[in-house]
Amino acid sequence: MSRVSASARLRRILALVPWLASRPDGAPIDEICQRFGVERDQLLADLDVLWMVGVHPFSPDELIDVIIDDDRVSIRLADWFRQPLRLTPDQALALVATGQSLAAVPGSDPDGPLARGIAKVAAVLGVEADALEVELGEAEDELVQTLQRAVDARRRVHLDYYSYGRDELTGRDVDPLRVFAEGGQWYLHGYCHLSEDERVFRIDRIRDLEVLDVSTDGTARPEVSGVFQPSAETPRVVLDLAPPARWVVEQYPTEVVEELEGGALRATLAVSSLAWFERLLLRLGPDVTVVEGPDELLRAGRHAARRVLARYRSR
Amino acid sequence: MDKLERLLNLTATLLDTERALTADEIRELVPGYPDNPASFRRAFERDKDDLREMGIPIRLEPVHGEERPIDGYRIHRSEYYLADPGLEPDELAALNLALRAVRLDGIQGVEALWKLGGAVEVEGPASEVASLPSEPALVPLFGAILDCRTATFEYRSSERTATRTIDPYRLDYRRGHWYVTGLDHLTGQRRQFRLDRIIGQVQAGEPGEFERPADVAFEDSQPWELGEGEPVTVRLLVDEPQAVWAARQLGDEAMVERRDDGSAVFEVDVVNWPAFRGLALSYLDHAEVLEPAELRDDVVAWLEAIEAR
Repeated sequence: MSRVSASARLRRILALVPWLASRPDGAPIDEICQRFGVERDQLLADLDVLWMVGVHPFSPDELIDVIIDDDRVSIRLADWFRQPLRLTPDQALALVATGQSLAAVPGSDPDGPLARGIAKVAAVLGVEADALEVELGEAEDELVQTLQRAVDARRRVHLDYYSYGRDELTGRDVDPLRVFAEGGQWYLHGYCHLSEDERVFRIDRIRDLEVLDVSTDGTARPEVSGVFQPSAETPRVVLDLAPPARWVVEQYPTEVVEELEGGALRATLAVSSLAWFERLLLRLGPDVTVVEGPDELLRAGRHAARRVLARYRSR
Repeated sequence: MDKLERLLNLTATLLDTERALTADEIRELVPGYPDNPASFRRAFERDKDDLREMGIPIRLEPVHGEERPIDGYRIHRSEYYLADPGLEPDELAALNLALRAVRLDGIQGVEALWKLGGAVEVEGPASEVASLPSEPALVPLFGAILDCRTATFEYRSSERTATRTIDPYRLDYRRGHWYVTGLDHLTGQRRQFRLDRIIGQVQAGEPGEFERPADVAFEDSQPWELGEGEPVTVRLLVDEPQAVWAARQLGDEAMVERRDDGSAVFEVDVVNWPAFRGLALSYLDHAEVLEPAELRDDVVAWLEAIEAR
């Protein structure tokens, strides 16, 4: 029973007692256990301590009164603990940040119980709700909601999808499994019938979407997966980045980073698509040197520059 | 005695008292402490640490009515209690759902719910709908915003690292990063700082050091809009289907022409040319800068330099 620290038990008691004390008829033990995440025997042990608590001189009419009757608990005379302890900054952050995040999901009602709840919590914290705001991603609300409905209704969808990495637009039938936001973007995780494999699609690159009259019952629901996991086969490059290009290691997952003279960095990156790499090289220009990598990637900057120049020169 | 009982008695005593109590008085009033003065001291110090770590505001202040100045302890009820937010059951349920459906890395919310009436059954998606990263500066900055405390930190911009002190007003999560907006003491201007560029710990001042102004918005600027200097209007041609995404990035109102083949021309006011050049080149050979001529020439020169390496 004393596996749980006295502090942890205290934090729970200081929250649970005010709630109970506000209920003249108390509450069933099971409900208390469920609300406050405590096992029955731990709860009873903590309540056992509680009715010896008071202040000097501990006269009987000043002690906390705990009544357990027919599996219900009620509390009286808990004067000093009639209200819970204020929220700590991390608790306040948890409530407001998760609340505002859920409120930022397309389809959330700006006047609904979530918005009202956040406003009330913000008020007791002494701020407006907009002291912390969240934008989960820049995809169109309609698309996100339609896809979430397709997930819930277990319907296949047809996407016109622009693959940024491959720089091409393709149509695909997808069994949508999960819609989620991560790293500032909205994603659809689904089974792609074109690739015959699970894929993660960025919703802001979906050009067109049609919900088909096909049920996806039978497609397995997967575990949560990360968005980009480079495999061992993905080619790696080693790049020398001049100081203005240091942001690359903040923005993209890099595997090895070495400080060089003059504030430069040498970093190893996984390159899963050529077009993505071309864009990076054209953007960085003289601030990047490809030191090592497969031939195709060593040439990528020159070839991409030549291709774009052809367009400029044709005018 | 169960340590829990002593902690509860200590908290009740410090809340109940009308004036600060000396350590000696506490030893007499609160049962469960060892008699030996040194052992009492150790136990009392540990208890105070435990309570303060939970956020219980034990104050050290002078005890009145003594001949020589002496310090004592108490908890001011106004600083301890959480005012009842008056949450309806559906509002509490919505907050429960938010804590379950959104993951904020490394931050646990369940004890926040206990203070609001405990966890309740909710209907809703079984899996997470969003996940947000956390930064070491996030909790201290939010605490500073709530209490109107100044915040001081080391900040790394592209050129160097410097110490900044701000009056923090708001936090925003945009494009995958956390930003704090506040009054920068150095420049006297409102500025935004990205939390992942803050190095080390945030030092917070005292509560009530400033007043939060009424209208603080997040300045949502594009990289090419930032900086000093006169804006230059650049015309950019983007092919189909990339034109659709260019419209999203640049704004529909930036599109001034749509051609028969589906391509589109955009007019954008640019302050930071290298940032806009990066955007134009991100469309690879599906876009070109049309005007002004000297910036079009700059793109060509930039590409020729890459081709020659």
